[in-house]
Amino acid sequence: MFEELLEDVAQNNGLREVNTTVKLAVGLGAIVLCLLSTSYLSPLFIALVLSAAILLLARIDIKTYAELFLVPLWFAFLSAIVIVLISGGEHIFWSWNPLSFLSLSITRESINTGFFIFCRVIGGMSALLFIALTTPMTDLFAVMRKACVPDFVIDLAMIIYRTIFILMDQVRQIYHAQVMRLGYSTWRESITTFASMCGAAFIASWDEGDDLIRAMDARCYDGKFALMGESRPAGFRSVAALCLFIASGSAAVYVSQGMTLL
Amino acid sequence: MHIMEGFLPWQWCIVWWLIALPCLAFGVWQLKKVMEKDREALPLLGVTGGFIFILSSLKLPSVTGSCSHPTGTGLSAICFGPWITSVVCAIVLLFQSLFLAHGGLSVLGANIVSMGIVGPVIGYAIYRLLKDTSVNIYLTVFLATALADMFTYVTTSLELALAYPAEVGGVASSFILFMGIFAVTQVPLAIVEGIVLALVFKYIVALKPDILIRMKIFSESQINAARGEA
Repeated sequence: MFEELLEDVAQNNGLREVNTTVKLAVGLGAIVLCLLSTSYLSPLFIALVLSAAILLLARIDIKTYAELFLVPLWFAFLSAIVIVLISGGEHIFWSWNPLSFLSLSITRESINTGFFIFCRVIGGMSALLFIALTTPMTDLFAVMRKACVPDFVIDLAMIIYRTIFILMDQVRQIYHAQVMRLGYSTWRESITTFASMCGAAFIASWDEGDDLIRAMDARCYDGKFALMGESRPAGFRSVAALCLFIASGSAAVYVSQGMTLL
Repeated sequence: MHIMEGFLPWQWCIVWWLIALPCLAFGVWQLKKVMEKDREALPLLGVTGGFIFILSSLKLPSVTGSCSHPTGTGLSAICFGPWITSVVCAIVLLFQSLFLAHGGLSVLGANIVSMGIVGPVIGYAIYRLLKDTSVNIYLTVFLATALADMFTYVTTSLELALAYPAEVGGVASSFILFMGIFAVTQVPLAIVEGIVLALVFKYIVALKPDILIRMKIFSESQINAARGEA
């Protein structure tokens, strides 16, 4: 269920030692560029560059990356089809009016719009995956603190982060035990079994959370977790790569302005 | 339900961020008060957040630029009110986009509004409405959580419809279309979520009734009556 949790991958990737702010700037810059682009070409260009960086520089297994990409891509494809059907246009290829308030059509303009949105999702997903696969969450807490997020919010974020792993452990153990005892044999049974798993995992994780806080309090924890912060300076090469990426991305957005598929 | 990165045009991303931010600020202020008063609430906040993370990661495909899954926000809304829930949700949504590439950063505002604000507000309103009546507390929890889930999807449909109105019939008809597609998977899912969370609540009542009474979620007599039934 959570095999695809990216955190484990991120802890061991090839760009692990690059300055966090630089990596975040690449990801966020790519997202902004994708949103500003008016043509399908620039998001595709950004996706290509970032995918190359993920596969070649961060050395992520291509199979893992493809699996991560294909599921959202399938969602994006289906959604783009809905948009193609409803957005309408002048050059009509096909149309159908099943109900008075609903008119479905495929037009040149709507295919262009749908394809553009599909490509923008591809670009955005690659940016998101770039951050997810190269930057472990623990590094982001340090960035959050630098960004002046209040301490107790970071405190809460860390507790939630820890609890996710506690909960997953509980869920995994309970689930296997339940499957062994044929807990999911019928649909009705599944609901009760699933609920009892949720309830038991909830209470057990709550207890573990209690213990965690108590243990931290005993070690003079006052709600502010001491973090090392960023210890890796942004090297010349990484900053140069960032600038090159943003510049070429902006150029792609500018040059491809208004280009359409059909 | 989570709208994907890149799916909304930037204008709408900004609009939803502007709606989400004041609510989050209010939530942060409330959270600060709760944390100062009662540090024992912290593990419960953590576990509700983790719970929301796990439940809303169980995704099923849906045709509308997002996917269907339980939200789990109702329980947190009942325990801590909608505004603190919005902060918890914002953290969870941020984790999901950076852990699982589920959701996104530019659309985070839109996702916070649907899952972290509208859903919990509706759930909390139902809970407050039914809290002091003779309605069974499990039924209250069921209705609050199931409707919190439903309204999350109604809001998501609205967000999608506003960004992509249909040529014929505009926002209204694309809203109906998006809602229709969601409803197929979401109505049964919301009911299942309500049942599951009501059962989870039953566990809490059975094992940790003291905290429910201390946080004034339900009165002592209601909890005792429920324990008698259990």
